[in-house]
Amino acid sequence: MSEAAIIAVRGVNKEFTGGNRSVTALRDIDLTIDRGEFVSLLGPSGCGKSTLLRILADLTEPTSGTVSLNGKTPRAARTDRDYGMVFQQAGLFEWRTVQRNVELPLQVAGVDKQTRRAKAQEMLELVRLTDFSRHLPWQLSGGMQQRVAIARALSADPEILFMDEPLGALDEMNRERLQGELLRIWSDTRTTVVFVTHSISEAVFLSSRIVVMSARPGRIAASIDVDLPYPRTAATRTTEAFFAKVTEVRTALHGVPAEQEVR
Amino acid sequence: MTVTNTAATAVASEAGPADPATVRRPRRGSAIGKRVWNAAGAGLVVAALAGIWEGYKALGRAFDDVLPGTRIGFPVATDDMSMPHVWSILGALVEPARRSDPTTLGSYLLGETGVTLREAFYGLLAGSSLGLLLAVLFLHLVPLSKGLMPWLVASQTVPLVAIAPMIVIWGGQAGAPPWVAVTGIAAYLAFFPVTINALRGLQSPPKVQLDFMRSVGANRRQVLGWLRVPAALPFVFAGLRLAATASVVGAIVGELSAGTGRGIGRAILTFAYYYSNGPEKLYAAVLVAAAAGIVFVQALALVERLALRHRQTR
Repeated sequence: MSEAAIIAVRGVNKEFTGGNRSVTALRDIDLTIDRGEFVSLLGPSGCGKSTLLRILADLTEPTSGTVSLNGKTPRAARTDRDYGMVFQQAGLFEWRTVQRNVELPLQVAGVDKQTRRAKAQEMLELVRLTDFSRHLPWQLSGGMQQRVAIARALSADPEILFMDEPLGALDEMNRERLQGELLRIWSDTRTTVVFVTHSISEAVFLSSRIVVMSARPGRIAASIDVDLPYPRTAATRTTEAFFAKVTEVRTALHGVPAEQEVR
Repeated sequence: MTVTNTAATAVASEAGPADPATVRRPRRGSAIGKRVWNAAGAGLVVAALAGIWEGYKALGRAFDDVLPGTRIGFPVATDDMSMPHVWSILGALVEPARRSDPTTLGSYLLGETGVTLREAFYGLLAGSSLGLLLAVLFLHLVPLSKGLMPWLVASQTVPLVAIAPMIVIWGGQAGAPPWVAVTGIAAYLAFFPVTINALRGLQSPPKVQLDFMRSVGANRRQVLGWLRVPAALPFVFAGLRLAATASVVGAIVGELSAGTGRGIGRAILTFAYYYSNGPEKLYAAVLVAAAAGIVFVQALALVERLALRHRQTR
């Protein structure tokens, strides 16, 4: 494990057993992610990309293999709040205001009220929702709710941000706008991001590296560096280099034997 | 009543500097209008019921309780002994209850109702506390819920008239005053709907919220206090409504079994006994008991509205 590595996955396998059937979700996963990287896990549905993320986050246990996060076990990293997580649904607590939703991780950590409030304000500034701190989740649109979820995930100053198809439920225009926001937040906070998606163009636009996965069983098929310069803007999407990278990633996905329904 | 966190229909703009004023808010003005309509509707229903009563009675009087041209009798006789006029029932409320006593029947019944409602209230309090406790226990000890649940269901299917005297006797042997036993009976009926609904509510948070709490390292107590309990509140109130009506029924039936002279249940029993002396008094007592039940449940509904005022209801 190199000095810069913040996430190290060694020989991870995951099998789901139900009744007398057993499905191999992940086979022989080895993956190292360096501090400050923006890594996308890209692949068709059923390739185990979300399962891999959940193993990193200690929401699921691997059948075998080891995971190291920030030099700790995933469990220790989780209870130390070394990572923050954003899910496909915002999952905000509907009885709490935006502000109090963002405060929640700090409340769990036992941080005092005043510090909590200040930190939440800072996070809402980061996602540009300061004016909505007193609103309730249902008063916000889906995209705004997801921005609150990002603020909430970052409020305890984690070093890693896990995102499980966070923009999957949004329409195309909002998704592109939030992708831009996300890159700005990433460059502001300098966290390491692991981002699960099944959209090639989303992965290319956001990532510094794309880990291409194949299905049945879930394996890592390729690791592709995306050397497009940051900051990336809407103009990036129309460049020759962007299209070339999309084609390269698509070819890698299609080289995968069990390829299907890739968007 | 369901609470959702989707905002698919929200009109808020996606753009960064959106104006908070454009975000959907609950419309308060129309809420007041709605309440006026509801009150008018409730009044209309009462008037319609009185109208049906008097209409049926008038028909019966006109045709001597037999459908005209047939020999089919009216299901209920309409003479003043069986169906007193609405106005004589209401009139009885302002007449003295007993010959030797100037207290009106209305104020006597209200006094007795107060006794009953107090029993029902304490019963609801004790029963729902027990119900909530059981729900939390069942949530964390699944085997316990599997083993105990059939017994709880059985406890509610045993006829109350069989249980009530037992509780009264046990209470008497323990040296407790009769109203304690009556409260116990009310609690016995109240805990069950609270347990069932609260357990459902505690299990209601979606996976994403539970995953989130785990992701921030929340312990069981924090998950319970900050996620499960608040999420359960709408369910708990649904259970409390059922428990409130059940506790009033329990208190009234309990009074019938208890050797106490107080309570609306006792009053109903007494007036039923002396029915031929004044049928309108029994009807008046039943009317007051029903009204008391409505007031009791409405008071709870008010608490619910206050507790859940920030939530979106659909």
